Amino acid sequence: MGNLRYVGHEEVRSVDGWARVTGEAKYVCDMTLPGMLYAKVLRSPLPHARILTLDLAPALALPGVVAAITQADFVEHGNFGWPVRDNYVLAYQKVRYQGEAIAVVAAETEAVAKAGVEAIRLELAALPVVGDMQAALDADAPRIPPATVETDGNLGETIILRYGDPEPLLAASPVVVETSYDLRHQEHAYLETEGALAIPEPDGGVTLFANNQSPFINRDIVASVLGLPPQQVRSIQPHIGGTFGGKDDVLYECSAQVAKLALLTGRPVRLIFTRAESMLASYKRQALRVQLQLGADEHGNLQAAQVEMLADSGAYASMTPMAAWRATMHAAGAYRYQAVHVDTQVIYTNNGYSGAFRGFGNTQAAAAVEMAIDELAERLHRDPLEFRLQNCLRQGDRTMTGNLVEHEVGLAACLEWVRERSEWERQRARYASQPADAPRRHGIGVACYFHGCGLGGEGTDFAVSTLKIERDYSITLTSGLTDFGQGSRTVFTMLAAEELGVEMSRIQMLRPDTRTAIDSGPTVASRASIVGGNAVRVTAAKLGQRLRLAAADLCACAPAQLVRAGEQYVGPHAEPHSFEEVVDHARALGLQLAAEGRWEIPAVEWNLETGTGKPNFAYVFGAQVAEVEFNPRTGWTKVTGLWAAHDGGVILYPQGARGQLYGGIAQGVGYALMEGYLFKDGVPQRTDLRSYRVPRAIDLPEIEGTFIETRLNEGPYGAKNLAEPVMVGTAPAIANALFQATGVRVQQLPIPRQPRA
Amino acid sequence: MELNFILNGKPLTLTEVDEETTLLQLLRDRLGLTGAKRGCDTGVCGACSVLVDGRLAKSCRTPLAQVDGHEVTTIEGLRGPDGDLSALQTAFLEYGAVQCGFCTPGMVIAAEALLRRNPHPTRAEIRRGIAGNICRCTGYQQIVDAIEAAAAQRLAQEGEEDG
Repeated sequence: MGNLRYVGHEEVRSVDGWARVTGEAKYVCDMTLPGMLYAKVLRSPLPHARILTLDLAPALALPGVVAAITQADFVEHGNFGWPVRDNYVLAYQKVRYQGEAIAVVAAETEAVAKAGVEAIRLELAALPVVGDMQAALDADAPRIPPATVETDGNLGETIILRYGDPEPLLAASPVVVETSYDLRHQEHAYLETEGALAIPEPDGGVTLFANNQSPFINRDIVASVLGLPPQQVRSIQPHIGGTFGGKDDVLYECSAQVAKLALLTGRPVRLIFTRAESMLASYKRQALRVQLQLGADEHGNLQAAQVEMLADSGAYASMTPMAAWRATMHAAGAYRYQAVHVDTQVIYTNNGYSGAFRGFGNTQAAAAVEMAIDELAERLHRDPLEFRLQNCLRQGDRTMTGNLVEHEVGLAACLEWVRERSEWERQRARYASQPADAPRRHGIGVACYFHGCGLGGEGTDFAVSTLKIERDYSITLTSGLTDFGQGSRTVFTMLAAEELGVEMSRIQMLRPDTRTAIDSGPTVASRASIVGGNAVRVTAAKLGQRLRLAAADLCACAPAQLVRAGEQYVGPHAEPHSFEEVVDHARALGLQLAAEGRWEIPAVEWNLETGTGKPNFAYVFGAQVAEVEFNPRTGWTKVTGLWAAHDGGVILYPQGARGQLYGGIAQGVGYALMEGYLFKDGVPQRTDLRSYRVPRAIDLPEIEGTFIETRLNEGPYGAKNLAEPVMVGTAPAIANALFQATGVRVQQLPIPRQPRA
Repeated sequence: MELNFILNGKPLTLTEVDEETTLLQLLRDRLGLTGAKRGCDTGVCGACSVLVDGRLAKSCRTPLAQVDGHEVTTIEGLRGPDGDLSALQTAFLEYGAVQCGFCTPGMVIAAEALLRRNPHPTRAEIRRGIAGNICRCTGYQQIVDAIEAAAAQRLAQEGEEDG
């Protein structure tokens, strides 16, 4: 890669950094317009109830209240949702979770809007609350989803995986571990709460600034519930303060609400959630209950796995069916098996609602199986890291779904790296011999993971990009995939500059805007660098080819004879020509100096009926070691060391990649030790950042991380993905370390704090 | 009430100020300085951090009475007279300490307060110094790197100036 100017270079910096470090970056909450109205939401105080009375008149009578809306203001009551159309932008007939939006008031000031919300006359008839997944499946449990959705009571969906027959293999295995885990909800806690600003347009349409992840989906949903053609809804992303999967459905709701109010009033309308609202009303990482059976032969070779999972979707499906599908495809982990069966049920309850969150089902699945693998290694009297090395996937092996892994696999190298850097053998032996009554107990543990690249069987996986050379010789870049802090704008800018052989500063990447960019599906699944990156590459290659033609004409040589010196084009005969000269000449020749390119991930197919197929075209891998200190008197666990190695293919933007690695691990530490978003009979117990603690700088040790470079031929310059999977190994590594410290197996995340003195 | 204070080095007199207003509301809603962010409104996230007389304050919990007659510095006031980034801001960019950026203004302010108090902090002291500020993106490591590097650079510069 010696001839690459940007890809893989340490010196590349975030293209958005300057605006953010000066405080000049405008997030939606920083945007105000003349005549702008402020919106506030009436939310359900009950987790499950029928709406008896909803009277807006008292609110509308207040001076300063300009408009108020309910579901009746939307086409088909504002019904939306994908893959399951079970949600409403404002509650229709029933409320199904505490905090569900019922009505929205727009007023001259925020205080008046709040008073308006308080004035609305709302009468609810409480319905029995379903707060437990098992209870939700009882024959006499009250049905939660609307009658228009086809379900078997509260059972939304069943997802299966069938690879071989594990039963006889488990029966014949001398060592079988049978265990279960209770993995609780997690809150995204992005620092910027949800928000949208809608501006009415003279053509009867509306422009939205919203902090959603996927502006095209937002545009389509808002247009459909407003009864407008999609072209009349324009969705623009300002700077966005973190999402981690959490700014989809909840943003579609709030975007549709402000859009309707803007159309009704003819004035801009802005809605920004308070923190309490955000924590109450936004969707979560779904809770999962996992039952696992793993068997190995007397030599410690894994034989078979049988897994049953219940996924708590809460009141609406959102992305839980998809996340449950991904959990199913990863439930037995990154190992070789002869047979694996997985059965996953997606269940409606009144526990808020759940959807996408970093790791998308694999965070839970990997946590469960990695704790179980540890237990199996222990039963076999094997070192847990050595046991993983013996069984982990290598190039040419078959995954737990029975698919051949043909690309390079860096998993064993990741395990070797964390073993060496953590001084695994030495620390493991040291902690094994610590006195039982030590005032602080120490332990070290390991976990590894794999994670399918892209959407896989979850949807069509493509992206589109455009490039245009402007009159001032700057180059305008668009992508249908977006940036909410993870750095994809920097990656796209870098790839365009690399492919065109120009300075990065020449490339102006526009903010995501449905009017200027081309629909590329959702920005999810850590797919932006691979899919969006390849689309940029394809587009830049098209444009670059035209410039080379012009340069060859100027240099009086064949295009193949040209070389580049910086931005200059150099031919064998004449003087070098500057980029500007080549652009002028291309224009004079009548060449089109704008290009559009599309890239799609190699097709995969999954048969939902038979539970067979190919879930993903490629995988990333990784391993993490955690070291903990346990205080038996207080029950407090502190993470004292973390080592992480991730095989993300060729790393495009090293500084950004490290940031993703550290940040993912921090969320994993939170998932392991502090972040349970708990419900009691459907009532959230922690709706502020004081009681719901997320890791602070003092809660984390210094992390030692690395990237094990492999090459994925389909990825841009050999890259794979990394943003989500890097958090997947952290929680189980901590749980396994805690086992060495305490001798007690973790069965629940977050790990309950239990004094053992 | 009437409010007199120094904002980012410039004396300012404001009339008809509602006493109930917090410093954060005043900065964002009346003065249009949106660098300080509203992350929680309960003083636990640090996104609204500013300096009052050089000391770290959560502006969402700072009543205006505490500001009257004092000096307030926000992220907008950290840059040099010609708009240059401060050494700390440059270090945040150089070390990749900025991802989504929503915590960044508050984090830079917290770091500035720390370095004024303790010009040569250890990494553990840096972690304690920013413990009132939540960052959900970075895992803090590159933020600690940036603050450590900025501290070293400030000391080197002061050494040069002294010598």
